[in-house]
Amino acid sequence: MASRVAEFLSSIDRRYIFLLISLSVVFPLIFKFPLPVAISPETQALYDRVDSIPDGSTVMLTFDYYPSTLAETEPMSIAALKHLWRKNMKIVTMSTVGLGGPSIAERVMATMAKEFNRTYGIDYVNLGYKANYTAVLLGLGTSFRAIYPTDFYGTPLDSLPMMQNVDKYGDLKFIYIVSDNGIVDYWVGLANAQFGASMGAGVTAVMAPKFYAYVRAQQLVGLLGGMKGASEYEFLVGSEGMATAGMGAQSMVHLTIIGLIIIGNFAYFWGRRRR
Amino acid sequence: MTSFLGKQLPLLVAFFAGVTMVIAFFTSEQTISNFAQDQLVWVTIVGGFALMLGAVSITTVSINHIKQRKEGWQYRIPLLVFLALTLGSAILEGTEQGTMYDWVFQKMYTPMDSTMFSLLAFFIASAAYRAFRARTIEATILLITATIVMLGRVPMGRIIFSYLPQVTDWIMNYPNLSVQRGIIIGAALGAASMSLRIILGVERTYLGRS
Repeated sequence: MASRVAEFLSSIDRRYIFLLISLSVVFPLIFKFPLPVAISPETQALYDRVDSIPDGSTVMLTFDYYPSTLAETEPMSIAALKHLWRKNMKIVTMSTVGLGGPSIAERVMATMAKEFNRTYGIDYVNLGYKANYTAVLLGLGTSFRAIYPTDFYGTPLDSLPMMQNVDKYGDLKFIYIVSDNGIVDYWVGLANAQFGASMGAGVTAVMAPKFYAYVRAQQLVGLLGGMKGASEYEFLVGSEGMATAGMGAQSMVHLTIIGLIIIGNFAYFWGRRRR
Repeated sequence: MTSFLGKQLPLLVAFFAGVTMVIAFFTSEQTISNFAQDQLVWVTIVGGFALMLGAVSITTVSINHIKQRKEGWQYRIPLLVFLALTLGSAILEGTEQGTMYDWVFQKMYTPMDSTMFSLLAFFIASAAYRAFRARTIEATILLITATIVMLGRVPMGRIIFSYLPQVTDWIMNYPNLSVQRGIIIGAALGAASMSLRIILGVERTYLGRS
């Protein structure tokens, strides 16, 4: 009997696992339940730094992510925007990801601008995308206009009121990077190390472990790690959104995977002992 | 002459461009800084042409694929259709909100890309069930650490054990960080030595085989 159970567990059809994962995602999204929020020190540090920037300052918010990771990254961008615009900051956006970045930036900024009643060119500017991120990030340290003579819509930067006194990293109070790839390395190595730009980042959970090194070296003032980081920031901003809503599903999926690992190991060792 | 254009000239350009950027980093001399800035602008322009080259390349390869009826040739047809569609609409209308390009991107590409990415969760779960075994001490350590971090990174972990987030933070800030630092420093040294090899003309693979 015991060996048959072990054999059954070892040869379970993967479609049942897929079904289990589907239920783990769908169930918490339908039947919502309250979950405690523990703010990590990295999220708190990022929030505190942004909060300490004088109201009305000019900052940069990047959209360095592909559409595939929107579930994790877009809530970060939205929460960051809410925080920045509550402090009446002027926002320059750009993207180092050609495939989607500028379009996502345009959509998110337009939606949020409507909510906060902000005007393009006065309260925010979308620089768009330029090929070869290394040259772009390095070039922006000396002159925005050299790299981006015009914005995403082809308007010369000189004719945008917000950009009159903004032409290099030194003119920005902070750079808020939201990314799903290794571009954070280049932001740190080029914009921070070479030009002293103050920055923090929100990255996908899979990328986060790498960037703890930059937080400890104080090259990044703080870090949001995945949907959890986004939900923590939403909590701090006081506006629970998609990330908070997704925490139940993420918790259930993690628990399910851990359960599967335990069952898998149990079946493996039990089966081996029987043999 | 061919040898000069194919070998010596690219080596000279690489040397000159590399050395200029290094000097510009260490000096505030305006002429050199301006020239370095010009170089960066040229690089973004070349990058734009590289994208165009990519589009031409994928078109040529796909047409040949279809002509020769290679395996999966049918999939190349929608690829070419949508390449032409997005490229054409972007050139004619632009890429702003409300354009056809934006519609294709927001309504088709984004959900498809997200779907492909989210499928990973299912495969990871299946793979973890079948392959994540505590066969050795190293595998057991990895398994226990992964379990703690997975639980510590979700709110449910705190309900199970209130100190899990702190334990997770410790794992991320000490064992993880020390390894990551080693990798980052190693990669940076590798990049520096490779740059030096290219500047000095020792590394020539970018010139091509001929």
